[in-house]
Amino acid sequence: MDLSNVMQPGDRASDPDWEMGLRLLAVQRRRRLAFAVRLAAVWLALVAALAFVLLQLNVDPLYAVDHSAFVLQGVLTTIGVSMASISVATVLALLGALGKLSRSSIAQGIAGFYVSLIRGTPLLIQIYLIYLGLPQIGQQFANRGMPGIGGMLTLNAIQSGILALSVNYGAYMTEIFRAGIQSIGHGQREAAKSIGMGEWHILRRVILPQAVRVIIPDIGNQFIAMQKDSSLVSIMGIWEITYRANRLARKDIKFMEMFLLAAAIYWFMTIVSSWAEGWLERRLSHAYER
Amino acid sequence: MPTNDSKPIVQVENLHKWFDLLHVLRGVSFTVDPQEVLVLIGRSGSGKSTLLRCLNMLEEPSAGSITIGPVSVRVEPGKHVDRRQATAIRLQTGMVFQEFNLFPHMTALQNVIEGLVTVKKLPREEAAAIGEKYLDKVGLLPKRDVHPVRLSGGQKQRVAIARSLAMEPKVLLFDEPTSALDPELIGEVLDVMRRLALEGTTMMVVTHEMSFASDVADRVLYLDHGVIVEQGPPTQILKSPQDERTAVFLRSFLESRGD
Ligand SMILES: Nc1ncnc2c1ncn2[C@@H]1O[C@H](COP(=O)(O)OP(=O)(O)OP(=O)(O)O)[C@@H](O)[C@H]1O
Ligand SMILES: [Mg+2]
Repeated sequence: MDLSNVMQPGDRASDPDWEMGLRLLAVQRRRRLAFAVRLAAVWLALVAALAFVLLQLNVDPLYAVDHSAFVLQGVLTTIGVSMASISVATVLALLGALGKLSRSSIAQGIAGFYVSLIRGTPLLIQIYLIYLGLPQIGQQFANRGMPGIGGMLTLNAIQSGILALSVNYGAYMTEIFRAGIQSIGHGQREAAKSIGMGEWHILRRVILPQAVRVIIPDIGNQFIAMQKDSSLVSIMGIWEITYRANRLARKDIKFMEMFLLAAAIYWFMTIVSSWAEGWLERRLSHAYER
Repeated sequence: MPTNDSKPIVQVENLHKWFDLLHVLRGVSFTVDPQEVLVLIGRSGSGKSTLLRCLNMLEEPSAGSITIGPVSVRVEPGKHVDRRQATAIRLQTGMVFQEFNLFPHMTALQNVIEGLVTVKKLPREEAAAIGEKYLDKVGLLPKRDVHPVRLSGGQKQRVAIARSLAMEPKVLLFDEPTSALDPELIGEVLDVMRRLALEGTTMMVVTHEMSFASDVADRVLYLDHGVIVEQGPPTQILKSPQDERTAVFLRSFLESRGD
């Protein structure tokens, strides 16, 4: 597009009403600042009101503070499980999307079946199936003289958690990847074909780099959701945030204290993840800025 | 200028293309000689784009045969073109699109050398040297490290031309290369094409720029409803067409342009 005729901000010399513009801009800025201050005040008031009510109701914040170190030790586990799972899920989602977009009936069939089955069943059931169900059939394989397969199907809690989260999120992210790939204009694929590029190169060098930039915000949202859903793996006794909070809460009957503490930790982690995602998004859009 | 005794570099025989029951190309046959510039004209929907896209296998022809350089493809009705043959034909042709279709995540130079690196497997430095040569040819060497968003439409199209040239195809196909450009940017692209023609690049150009056709074309081809109804030197086709359909098209075209 030709931008030479588009209005540009003027300067003191060429604009006789320059001072007026400056004054209007200052008023606007003051209004925006005042709004931000009021917004922050509302947040503070909400936190203060909540704290006040809880204190009246015999909730003991010092208990939470004293035991926060114990719960915080679970942060690394939560982050580790989430990171591993989002990585595997990304691979599954890419394969799923390619399957859905493929011309092969077999690939399309498998991908469609996977997405439908996983999205149609609860994550908790999937965790049970992998952690408790798989060893059961693994035992059968072992009994029939195939201990190798039997061992492979018997996963420990961490492995089960990562597998369940990966398979589950892979199904949801399949749709994200599919939409991202389809959002890249047909002309890109044609231009790549016209210089003789094969399907694999077109995908890896032309389509995916552009699609990834489109779907980074969605992947970021999935990662945030996964950090929270990873609390479900606590049912298998993995020592992550929720499990640790739950353990103390039951022992000392401090449910409000410990679960609020856990909630605050998750909240903080998701805020940090949002920032990281925003940073990555800005970095990747570098090539697209004028 | 084409030499008379040379063997044609493009040979198309009885090419057909159906989109479901829409019979878009109805038995098109023609040849292009080395160094010849062929301009293709015809009203909207007559099949010009489809013809170029079939030559580059972006559309699969329904029937007929195409020979470009050493590669020959014969399409039997109802059969798919072998993927390896399609790629072989593609490597003999370069395509310049109306919408440029530059890769937005790559710099100008990266755009130009992408095919050299991934398809021809050249080492990066060698590819970069070739890429710079072709960027220079279209006058854009200073923009080698710039991404497409920071280029004007005309500059984008010139990079796209360099990208096609870098693969050193036997024939360059242009599908309305200036139709998406602001009027003041058309000239720089036509200048590049003019220069290529003088250097002896074989080209097939779909365009509505009649002055370009009359200056640069060796031959003009009029396509109507998927059939070539008339062809000849630009002076003949554009000034005194023999076929009534060509005459009507040119008259209405010139009227709508107001010149
Ligand atoms: N992929 C497609 N599927 C179905 N029909 C198509 C497809 N591509 C083109 N057509 C149809 O084929 C006919 C010829 O189209 P084509 O684009 O080749 O015409 P054209 O001469 O290039 O026209 P224009 O001057 O408008 O670019 C048109 O009727 C068009 O609608
Ligand atoms: Mg067209």
